[in-house]
Amino acid sequence: MRSIWAVAKNTIKQALRMKVAVVFIVLLLVLLPVLGMTTTGDETLKGRLQTFVSYGLSLTSLLLCILTIIVSVYTVTSDIKHRQIYTVVTKPIRRYQFLLGKLFGIMMLDVILLALFSAFIYAYAVYMPKKYKADHKENPQVSNEITQVNNEFFTARAALVIPEIDVTREVNERYQELKGMDRLPDLPYEQIISELTEQAKVRKRTSNIGQKLIWEFDNVKPLTKSMFIRFKYDVAVTPPDMQVFGMWYAGDPNYVKYGQQPETPYYENILRHSVQTFHEIEFPANVVPKSGHLAIAFMNIYPNNTSIIFPDDGLAVLYKADTFTANFVRAVFLILFRLFFLACLGILASTFVSFPVAILMCLVLFSTAAISGFVIESFDSLSSDLNIFYSYSIKWMIRFLPQFDKFSPTEFIVSARLLSWSILARCAVSMVFIKSFILLALSFIIFRYREIAKIIV
Amino acid sequence: MEYAVETFSLTKIFSDWWGRAKVYAVDDLNLQIKKNEVFGLLGPNGSGKSTTIKMLLGLLHPTKGKAVVLGGDGTDPKINSRIGFLPEESYLYKYLNARETLDFYGRLFGLPSELRKMRVEALLDMVGLKAVANRSVGTYSKGMARRIGLAQALINDPELLILDEPTTGLDPIGTRQIKDLILKLAQRGKTILLCSHLLADVEDVCDRIAILYGGKIQTQGRVRELLQQTNKIQITTEAISDATVQKIERLIKDEQAECEIASPLDKLESFFIRTVAAAQQQAQPTSGAVSTTKIGGFLVEESPVEKILDKLVSAPLTEKAVQKEPMTEKVVQDESLASGPDEHLLTELTGSPETSVSKPVAKEEKVEEESAESQQVPQKEQIRKDILDRLTDTSSPPQKDDRQKENS
Ligand SMILES: Nc1ncnc2c1ncn2[C@@H]1O[C@H](COP(=O)(O)OP(=O)(O)OP(=O)(O)O)[C@@H](O)[C@H]1O
Ligand SMILES: [Mg+2]
Repeated sequence: MRSIWAVAKNTIKQALRMKVAVVFIVLLLVLLPVLGMTTTGDETLKGRLQTFVSYGLSLTSLLLCILTIIVSVYTVTSDIKHRQIYTVVTKPIRRYQFLLGKLFGIMMLDVILLALFSAFIYAYAVYMPKKYKADHKENPQVSNEITQVNNEFFTARAALVIPEIDVTREVNERYQELKGMDRLPDLPYEQIISELTEQAKVRKRTSNIGQKLIWEFDNVKPLTKSMFIRFKYDVAVTPPDMQVFGMWYAGDPNYVKYGQQPETPYYENILRHSVQTFHEIEFPANVVPKSGHLAIAFMNIYPNNTSIIFPDDGLAVLYKADTFTANFVRAVFLILFRLFFLACLGILASTFVSFPVAILMCLVLFSTAAISGFVIESFDSLSSDLNIFYSYSIKWMIRFLPQFDKFSPTEFIVSARLLSWSILARCAVSMVFIKSFILLALSFIIFRYREIAKIIV
Repeated sequence: MEYAVETFSLTKIFSDWWGRAKVYAVDDLNLQIKKNEVFGLLGPNGSGKSTTIKMLLGLLHPTKGKAVVLGGDGTDPKINSRIGFLPEESYLYKYLNARETLDFYGRLFGLPSELRKMRVEALLDMVGLKAVANRSVGTYSKGMARRIGLAQALINDPELLILDEPTTGLDPIGTRQIKDLILKLAQRGKTILLCSHLLADVEDVCDRIAILYGGKIQTQGRVRELLQQTNKIQITTEAISDATVQKIERLIKDEQAECEIASPLDKLESFFIRTVAAAQQQAQPTSGAVSTTKIGGFLVEESPVEKILDKLVSAPLTEKAVQKEPMTEKVVQDESLASGPDEHLLTELTGSPETSVSKPVAKEEKVEEESAESQQVPQKEQIRKDILDRLTDTSSPPQKDDRQKENS
């Protein structure tokens, strides 16, 4: 244990004194405050906060990721290349302990830096509304904006689960209908069905003028006074001013469906919003009936000249579930898990290849992980044409990479979405306890049998 | 008996990436190094010395055969904690300073902090780098780095010390110091495996040597036996009158023997050390090479007893003699033990005006060692009284003796 600690301490000194880490630290120390002072967003306070926090966190995460890769690869390969390792592994320390020491050192550095920079981002974000208030004393809008920010940014909101709509019956009917008319396209059965399913689903999310869309939620237990509808409009024909009207309703389903007068109050309002961006509507939580059965309805109304389509993730009902601080801390942990994975990756790479190759390898894998959603998607769409070799090797490898974009901390923070403990735990299990440990185990095995003094030219 | 190092047809074949172009670096090597032996591994460049050492320590895997170190595997931490290793070059962390470097290695051995600090300071003092201990070792000269490398190998007070060309880059004083150190450690029952190209050094300290060529042992044996010329005798005296010389010559002629008479040359090594000592006494400024002047406190007149090398390795019996005259420890020490004819040789070496007789062997010191062999017992007594033991075992009675003697 003592020897692991010795190696860890030495690794930190190496990272700092060889100026590898210093470059990144200085860069962040300069960039973060500059970012804080220059971000404007869409000129609203919320926009500013979102821009600052999203850039700040992404930048911190990106730079620390690269730093971790470089330091972990550098510290191991340089010891081997400059042969200081000769006098280290011949001391009473096992090879795996040497690597563990390196990992500890890197992670300690990461934890310190991450804590430092995220604390700065947090503190600055909390300070921004205060400054804004002081700067715009005369403006009566300010208190509104502050309330908005408190409701929509400094919070952690969970979304109600939207029940899956079953369209199989419709699809089958449509299929039979087409078949009866003998207008089936010349395609395999599965493909026709999947196309029809897609069409049916889009139809369920489409509101023609005067048509009402209803979403129903079960077991809703409002925890706070307000709830929010977060939505985005897509349109068939884009209006000249990019704005459309919509009538929104929230409350007892019986009223909106059958016109029965509800016991609980309900929310109803006609609003105008721009298309193709996310918006939020706040409504009081007391509209939820005692049964916990809540309906949200939308109607496309007359002045509009187009059908309105809600994209796949275009509607969510949100409620406050935790504090901003707790959410922020968990988001920082997400970054830390990333760093841990990358440190293990760097160590593994440097146990068998030299510095430039290891760096290249890690950077490629890192960028793949950063856009893994895209990679997997494009792969799946291609894979039908590819042979078995591809689907069993590369696909598997891409699946092994952690999905950094899926567990993106900035996404959660910017949209004030609850990053629950269970998501965090899932990420920890997959990224740290499974994937990183496999990498570590591999590096232990390779390093255990490696001939340290063998020079490969 | 159990050997400190034993290899069984140890073989290392280097091949390139494709498995071709084979180099037989070490070929069917059977080495046996006894405990408490100073063993020299000699051989021209590329003869496989370093490769052998690396295989002993698990830095390279043997192609064939195996090596047993201290009765176990050279990669086992338990065994490693009893070994000190100095590689062919001092590969140090450039960004650490000397003190941090030694502290780091001390930590790797899991030494408790108090003991670690004591040893670090003692070793820094011994290798003469205390004054520059806060400079990063990347800025050190080759010899200075070598000294740190050596200190690093000693931090655990190893039972087996493996030194790959320890004296490269060292100044003559440093070289002399290392030789003295090796002898002292040997007296304390340590085993030393030494690789070197400087034959004079090897000759001075090794009990046994093996000469490698092309990865094979060409010859091995006890240095004395390999080098002794049994049919000659050497007489060395102080300057005496010509009449006496003629008398002696006549006597030898009577024996029908040939003889050669000349003033002996001083050894360059002793000359160098005397010169530096004189320079130091005049307190001449030394730029950069502070370490050199500090080396071997035994040159520092005002505090001869303080010198750490002695504390590390010498027995209290020697201290009186050391104060009298700065000479190699070996010689000095034997003075107190010697009786009979060898006494003359020793006193001659330390400069007292008496004649002495010796056989012309590899080196005078070797003769003394032989004569001292009959006196193994007192030597063993001294062994316990040195400072490293004091460092490790603070409650042992010999330590008290030691202190009393120092104080007096
Ligand atoms: N990693 C390696 N790959 C290939 N050949 C090697 C390697 N290391 C050593 N050799 C070869 O093995 C032989 C023995 O090398 P070694 O370093 O043991 O020599 P040495 O006796 O220590 O020489 P020197 O006196 O120069 O230190 C040399 O021919 C050398 O070229
Ligand atoms: Mg060598």
